[in-house]
Amino acid sequence: MSDISRYHRQYLFNKIGEQGQRKLISSRIAIIGCGALGTVLINTLARAGVGFIRIVDRDFIEFNNLQRQVLFDEEDIKENLPKAIAAERKVKKINSQIQVEAIVSDVNFTNIERFIQDVDFVLDGTDNFETRFLINDACVKLGKPWVYGAVIGSHGLTATIIPGETPCLRCIFETAPPPELTPTCDTAGIIASASTVIASLEATEAIKFLTGNKQDLNRTLYSYDVWTRQTQSFKLGGLREAADCPTCKKGKFEFLSGDQTQKTTSLCGRNAVQITRPDNVTLDFKELASRFDQIGSVKYNSFLLQATTGGYEFTVFPDGRAIIKGTNDPAQAKTIYAKYIGT
Amino acid sequence: MVYLDNAATSFPKPKRVYERMDRFLREEAANPGRSGHRLSVAAEGQIVQARSLLAKFFGAKNPERLIFTLNCTDSLNIAIKGILQEGDHAITTVLEHNSVLRPLNALESIGKIKLTKLKPASHGVIDPQDIKKAIQKNTKLVVITHASNVVGVIQPIREIGRVVREGGVDRARPLLLVDAAQTAGVIPIDVEGDLIDLLAFPGHKSLYGPPGTGGLYVGERAKVIPWREGGTGFRSESQFHPADTFPFALEGGTPNSVGIVGLKEGVSFILETGIENIQAHERSLVQRLREELKQIPNVQLYGLEDVTKTVAPVSITIDGVEPQEFSILLDQSFQIAVRAGLHCAPLMHGFLGTAPQGTIRFSPGYFNTLDEIGQAVSAVREILSELKK
Repeated sequence: MSDISRYHRQYLFNKIGEQGQRKLISSRIAIIGCGALGTVLINTLARAGVGFIRIVDRDFIEFNNLQRQVLFDEEDIKENLPKAIAAERKVKKINSQIQVEAIVSDVNFTNIERFIQDVDFVLDGTDNFETRFLINDACVKLGKPWVYGAVIGSHGLTATIIPGETPCLRCIFETAPPPELTPTCDTAGIIASASTVIASLEATEAIKFLTGNKQDLNRTLYSYDVWTRQTQSFKLGGLREAADCPTCKKGKFEFLSGDQTQKTTSLCGRNAVQITRPDNVTLDFKELASRFDQIGSVKYNSFLLQATTGGYEFTVFPDGRAIIKGTNDPAQAKTIYAKYIGT
Repeated sequence: MVYLDNAATSFPKPKRVYERMDRFLREEAANPGRSGHRLSVAAEGQIVQARSLLAKFFGAKNPERLIFTLNCTDSLNIAIKGILQEGDHAITTVLEHNSVLRPLNALESIGKIKLTKLKPASHGVIDPQDIKKAIQKNTKLVVITHASNVVGVIQPIREIGRVVREGGVDRARPLLLVDAAQTAGVIPIDVEGDLIDLLAFPGHKSLYGPPGTGGLYVGERAKVIPWREGGTGFRSESQFHPADTFPFALEGGTPNSVGIVGLKEGVSFILETGIENIQAHERSLVQRLREELKQIPNVQLYGLEDVTKTVAPVSITIDGVEPQEFSILLDQSFQIAVRAGLHCAPLMHGFLGTAPQGTIRFSPGYFNTLDEIGQAVSAVREILSELKK
């Protein structure tokens, strides 16, 4: 038996105990997304002694991340490090007794099962609905419990999903809300205290599950606003039975099959990428324009909306298609789309 | 949906193509020529018939020398890489598609061959005399498109065939490889009369076969070294791929029998309809399209006005408008499918002055109507009037 004394204050907490601590040490988790939520999840769970942590993220660190993404610092930016790698380095300094695996990759329908198949619990550190639905599909398919978390402004949401027991994410949200009604961190902002709270709740759910405290898991869609201190718990009991859910009722994994995937096309020689949405949306240009208005320049007519912000030029069409100029990397274009337009 | 992207692949296909492929795959699709049972023999029979039909269609005397490929790119690669050897010189043009330019550029960049790229006169036609002048004593291959996939301008293949066959200095006798991606099925091609040594064609464009089909005719003068070797169902005791026995030399592995059967049906449709009727209808569409687009302010038309000198692709640019954006608007607001950009022919846009954004390409096909052309043109007008606001 290895020495577990470093976790003494944690297992002194009677819900965990020495036995729970040993369970944590032998547990494996995957954290999808390494931003505001992901870095807090990693920080908390690495310190808590979860034995294996896989971190998956495709992005590089930018200066405007440091305000809330707790594992990163200015040195990482100077080194131009991918988020997953920078996080892995920090974790090794925080807790050399656990194993960490950094994967710099887009998470999509072709690879997600590989990332989660050998873990006990999955944590959501993403910033978009498409990836969350993908996590949901994969977790329901492979029977992996996971925790959903999302934050914008001062407000966040979380829910814990145990396939076969609780409603899944698609029982709760059948489809993603229209993008112009879904603000993103890059358009509506985010304060670090909000993401810290939600990530702490998510991490606690993981600890409960992994230490054998399933009875204490959150069974609601929990909403908290750090600014107004408004709390709401939407009861989910019965939803699983009531919802005609394509994922957990019909076993149709629409995101995992690739049917519900954004398609990207690099435009030859133009340093631009075209993104096509899988779903049928009709964007409200007025809403979207008011969002871009805060952070850059924007104009629109009934056919298209053109905006410039963050060094990128966007041409957005009513059905959600967009041409993003300023990159020819499809993965980066997807990130930018998720940031400014949403999914 | 008004589909005006037939230069990329024809759509829809004649009904008989769908029906025949469905029946073949359900009832007849054994591995052709591999086994002696009746299904295998019958499947082989279909492929032999398809080969013979296509050979006749292109005026080739020897059907065995017409091989089936994956697409026109595959055909061009088999020919270019199978013919050119260390120290050879090749001639091509700036009109070409990347399926010609990239294999040649790659061979040139590793120092294996020397390459000359000819420019057309201002109207987009290559002067055969320029080819004659470019022939050197080590010129092995002349590769030219039969018609540009950007502007549709037809090249004088028969005259080019003549100068290439005459050869040049020091008795250089190059081979002529023609890329018929935009013409096979719309313009009569006669490999004997046109003095074409190698003809590369797609099955899925104007021959109305399904995607995944194509062919290469290899004339008697051409020696193509196969680089794809494997099972042929023929002379299996030999350790080596049969390099001189056609069609096996250039066809290894189980063929796309379902596709080939569909292609045969597409060619039968052309023969039944009459290639002259197909050509006449497509010309009437192109004529209407050009006439109407010409009247819209700020629209630049490329290519030739005389529709007897072009095939279907019609390219335009509009002042101050991104082709890619415009094509999305046509698609989502008017259900009109066109293609925008470089159309995989980068040098052509240097020539036209349309680099780097490219053009908006309308490519009507036999199944389009004059009405649909009208719809497309009014969509262009409508978008432009909204964009002006």
